[in-house]
Amino acid sequence: MQKCTLGIDVGSVSTNLVLLNEEKHLVKKVYINTAGNPIKAIKNGLIALEKELKIMEVYAVGTTGSGRQLASILVGADIVKNEITAHAAAALTYYPDTQTILEIGGQDSKIIIIRNQIVIDFAMNTVCAAGTGSFLDRQAQRLGIPITHFGEIALKSKNPTRIAGRCAVFAESDMIHKQQMGHKIEDILKGLCQALVRNFLSNVAKGKEIRPSILFQGGVAANAGIKKAFEEQLKLNVAIPNDYDVMGAIGAAILASNHVVSRKKQTNFVGMKITTRNYEIKSLECGGCPNCCEIIQLFADKKLMATWGDKCGKWSSTVAVS
Amino acid sequence: MKIGIPRALFYYQYYPFWKTFFESLDQKIVLSSPTNKDLLKKGLELCVDDACLPVKIFHGHVANLIGKVDTIFIPRIISIEPKEYICPKFLGLPDMIKNSIPDLPDIIDVDLNLYKSKIMFFRHFIKLGEILNKNKKQILIAFNKAQRVQQRFEYQLIKEKIVPQDILSETYKISQNEIFSYNPSKLKVLLLGHHYNIYDDFISMNLIMKLRKKNVTFITSEMVTNKIIVEGTKNLSKDMFWTLGKKAIGTAYYYLERKKVDGIIHVASFGCGPDSLVGEILEKRTRRDFHIPFLFLNLDEHSGEAGFNTRLEAFLDVLEGRKYFEDNIPTYG
Amino acid sequence: MRITFPHMGNICIPLRSLFENMGLEVISPPVCTKRTLELGVAHSPEFACLPLKINIGNFIEALEKGADTIIMAGGIGPCRFGYYGEVQKEILKDLGFDFEMIILEPPQGHFFKLLQKIKLITNHNTIKDIVSAVRIAWKKALLLDKLDLESSKIRPIEKIRGQTDKIYRDILLRINDINDKDEIDDLETIISDTLYDIPTNGQTPLKIGIVGEIYTVLEPFVNLNIEKQLGELGVEVSRNIYITDWVQENLLPSLLKPDKHKDILRLAQPYIKCFVGGHGQETVAQIINFANKGFDGVIHLLPFTCMPEIVAKSAIPRVSQKHSIPVMTVILDEHSAETGFKTRLEAFIDMIYHKKEVGDFAKMHSGN
Repeated sequence: MQKCTLGIDVGSVSTNLVLLNEEKHLVKKVYINTAGNPIKAIKNGLIALEKELKIMEVYAVGTTGSGRQLASILVGADIVKNEITAHAAAALTYYPDTQTILEIGGQDSKIIIIRNQIVIDFAMNTVCAAGTGSFLDRQAQRLGIPITHFGEIALKSKNPTRIAGRCAVFAESDMIHKQQMGHKIEDILKGLCQALVRNFLSNVAKGKEIRPSILFQGGVAANAGIKKAFEEQLKLNVAIPNDYDVMGAIGAAILASNHVVSRKKQTNFVGMKITTRNYEIKSLECGGCPNCCEIIQLFADKKLMATWGDKCGKWSSTVAVS
Repeated sequence: MKIGIPRALFYYQYYPFWKTFFESLDQKIVLSSPTNKDLLKKGLELCVDDACLPVKIFHGHVANLIGKVDTIFIPRIISIEPKEYICPKFLGLPDMIKNSIPDLPDIIDVDLNLYKSKIMFFRHFIKLGEILNKNKKQILIAFNKAQRVQQRFEYQLIKEKIVPQDILSETYKISQNEIFSYNPSKLKVLLLGHHYNIYDDFISMNLIMKLRKKNVTFITSEMVTNKIIVEGTKNLSKDMFWTLGKKAIGTAYYYLERKKVDGIIHVASFGCGPDSLVGEILEKRTRRDFHIPFLFLNLDEHSGEAGFNTRLEAFLDVLEGRKYFEDNIPTYG
Repeated sequence: MRITFPHMGNICIPLRSLFENMGLEVISPPVCTKRTLELGVAHSPEFACLPLKINIGNFIEALEKGADTIIMAGGIGPCRFGYYGEVQKEILKDLGFDFEMIILEPPQGHFFKLLQKIKLITNHNTIKDIVSAVRIAWKKALLLDKLDLESSKIRPIEKIRGQTDKIYRDILLRINDINDKDEIDDLETIISDTLYDIPTNGQTPLKIGIVGEIYTVLEPFVNLNIEKQLGELGVEVSRNIYITDWVQENLLPSLLKPDKHKDILRLAQPYIKCFVGGHGQETVAQIINFANKGFDGVIHLLPFTCMPEIVAKSAIPRVSQKHSIPVMTVILDEHSAETGFKTRLEAFIDMIYHKKEVGDFAKMHSGN
């Protein structure tokens, strides 16, 4: 039976699952809307991989993304890694020359600086949403443009509109203003791309030395207008990996594989039974101290599996993670 | 008399002194609760919007003491080192409190101003004693006793490389004791930032505990001697007039120049004026002259713990990676 | 040596005149524009205060035009301004510029020290040359203040909108260009005459004072031209600080500083007991001062995260109530947008008018 490794990236917008074979080539990828329900998303993701999982043996599982802890409890992950390390691991496996990774996802954006195949520096967007995918989604929606066409329309612009403002709210009001002044739609879209890239470079990437080769990944990499804007402002070529939208999951899979192989471990993967189990999340407010932590409990078929969310450890240490 | 002391800001530096001094003068000390969600909420309600997180939280601590004490001790900390300040908000702290919080009990807001001379430290406490109607002799005895306790406290932080909570909180150290196992491949980082941010476990989202759990050795400005700080700041082209900023920069340069650390974590609260510039100098020099990874953690009341953890974990991965490859790969540049 | 300095309102006019009359080549920083701001924002620390960012933009633009020496003021804290120069040096060095920065540190670095330095550099200046250069620069500063003060009285009541501004701009250019002592004296009367020739509508305008952090008060690009905007809304504007005040406060040795300052500061005592850096205490004092002088309202300007002004802001609700004067705080940063700003100004003025009407109404009925 062929062996494979599973990577799961649970983000606030999407949940991605990938299967890699032992040569770390992608076998299959699944992209699911998290829609506020990560458990359901993970289940659905596994169901979508059912055919492959029947004929392949999973030897390692890794999780990443903001829901990585939950996912790891659910599937029995061998490694839980933050998304920065995961993204870098994926990029370096396929593009060992990479020195800079630009990553823009639905809710966050980051830059990762690599030298000699080691991550030496990184930054994530701080408070502002103006540099992320959901901002573009919102503006596309406002303008009545399907997000999938955003990039190609933007590329048509010859005279991009200048959209001011570093912050989503200001950029939006300025854009509405420009729209009312009668600017062409493609010029506004291009203007938005330029504004987003400008924000990214002066905000997230401030003070970072951007050297080639540059890899652009994350969901927003699908937008050709953004790629162009990066290239114009950096005056450098920007490459987009084939599986730009699931690089986090790929990274998690690679890290899991390395972890299991180097330690000659058996995987903790619990298997497809996840998809048939009935999971329930309960939350309660602990009244033990004025912190009033929100305690989250995960039940599988009515049996308590895990508890987390407390600051003091009173809850999370009492239940063993199974 | 029951004197309330807010468990915030300079509590982390001077509490042993304050406690001993007041108790030696037969006063009862009441501390506000450790920072928590309610207290933060109260602080946000009361404080002027644009202040930084620790000052907002200080407002919450003061409110927490109302009704429990006869007076609240909020010294006006103008300067604790000659020719230096803390920051404008400290100069105006008692004013801000009085302007913003209704129904306050008496406030003891004696100036602590060592701008011209360190002698004023003694005078500050004489004045405090006088407010409490004590005679010179009583005050002197209390002062000497408090000074000995304070010196022991400071010495212990330096000698044992521990944090103020380890000493100030009875439960803290015991709960973390098991983590202190020696591990030769330990990472060593500088943890820089104002003491009232890094040592308040609520504000810093348990950063100290997280580092200890991950077996990371850390050095803070409170764990080094004044000599080290003087040594570290001697190459600044202009003396830094913010005491806490100077301590951070001095600690950083001393260790950077001796290549004794794997990375620097700088913790600052959103809206902190001095740190917006101190951080810039620190970060620029660390990267440009020393090529050492630098992590800036910015804290405010909206900071999510998830993003905070991701940054911290990724940063430690970076340090591990560098340490692992150090022998095989020439320094990048 | 081609020197430059930060752009702060019209202050660059006397500064330029001073340096040029001492035989130095001056690259005046271009007037602040969006580009200045963008350059500044792109290269400054995110959480630094706005003046630092604008300065960085000024310096980059001046260095691009060939300046090689930057003159900057220093300070002893606790306000960040005192450390601006050091940080700006680092930033510009990182960007690869080749330049020298002369930072005037108080107390030893007051203006006379600079003059000494310049004398050493240019060498062929006599004391007489320097005195004459200083005198001309000072006169220009006085003229600029006069122009600001008087035009702010006419602007709100001019019959045809924009007339005052047209004259304002003309005179500004003339102050910039002239260099003869007698011509300067003539200009003083010209200012009064031309402004008083503007036909007015005879109404009594509202009077609003502007207080706050000096840079935001003095630099029209940063405060979105608040004086002009208020003037056009029919408001007579008075600032708490004019160019000559700034020079006296910042560039003169302390023994020459005027006394009246200390008297005004005393007004702040019940709200802010001691110096808190920058102009924090002064802001509160000036609000009370404006209230005492019968102003209708005060607008408080500060850059986002400005520490001394945040302390001041905490006192404003009490001050405003106690001295019954409406105060509006406006926080300025790189996101400040003109439309929202104008709406706020209008709403504030409407509120004052409303208050006045209700107040008068109440008086009538109480028989006063």
